[in-house]
Amino acid sequence: MSTIIGSSIRISGEVEGSEDLVVHGTIQGKIELQSDLLVEPSGNVEADVYARNTKISGTLTGNVQADERVEVTKDGQMTGDIRAPRILISDGAQFQGNVDMNAPRK
Amino acid sequence: MINKPMNDDNTIIGETIIVRGELNGEENLTVLGRVEGQINLAQDLYIEETGIVKADSSVRNCVISGILVGNITASERVEIAPGGRMVGDISAPRVLINDGAKFRGSIDMGDLESAGSPPSKPSYTSRSYRSSTTSTTTSTRPVASAPRPAPAPAPRPAPAPAATPAPAPKKEEPNREDAAKAEAEAKEKAKKPSPKPDDKAADTGIKKKED
Repeated sequence: MSTIIGSSIRISGEVEGSEDLVVHGTIQGKIELQSDLLVEPSGNVEADVYARNTKISGTLTGNVQADERVEVTKDGQMTGDIRAPRILISDGAQFQGNVDMNAPRK
Repeated sequence: MINKPMNDDNTIIGETIIVRGELNGEENLTVLGRVEGQINLAQDLYIEETGIVKADSSVRNCVISGILVGNITASERVEIAPGGRMVGDISAPRVLINDGAKFRGSIDMGDLESAGSPPSKPSYTSRSYRSSTTSTTTSTRPVASAPRPAPAPAPRPAPAPAATPAPAPKKEEPNREDAAKAEAEAKEKAKKPSPKPDDKAADTGIKKKED
């Protein structure tokens, strides 16, 4: 079971949990997950993110720290820093920020 | 009941998720986790059994099968399912508190004079509520959105409004829909002292909750 934030939903605040989060809408604030974050093409996240895996196909503005992996797909746009042991930035993705693959999470 | 489509247009807050802040949207929201803050939806809010909402909400319809602490303003209807618990004020033209629900707070149904008539179909139920085998209500959504003329509602027997006014402990109405109705009637009578309470009562559509 994953949490789905629909495309017309706007959350302003903190989201935390231990299940996957799929974002089609807008989240502003802070996201802290023990599991995965998926930002879909219509999704817009303006938040600092702590997650296990993060896959960005929409827009993410903020810093991302992942336990495992951060992926920015060809539709994804990210502005912010990435701290993760593994990253994947696909051809066509837009990314601006720093990448640190050595730092441990938190 | 309202068909909750299980596609991307229906937002689900999962069981382990905590949202703290403000949540706005134009689609249905199903809460199995925890939401604190404020909820504003143009559509419906479903608080499932595991859901805990500590927020003031403004929605169209609301079905509470879990816990709601906070005030709710609904443009259509608020329903508290048998396992539901709510502390807070309800402001909605239609309210359904099922037997077994727990409620503390006040209910304001707005202007009773211009209130519409009762829906033709039985109440709709939340998804999980409907799956209960003991549920006897059907799952169709009432067509009450089309207003009908005031005389249409079934007239309540005349002695009832003239009976005892609302009981003193207004706040303690865990699952007595009648007590809520009596309170509404008492307010109604206090507003308009008329020599013929039965006529007035029949016209105000107070019994619109009765199905």
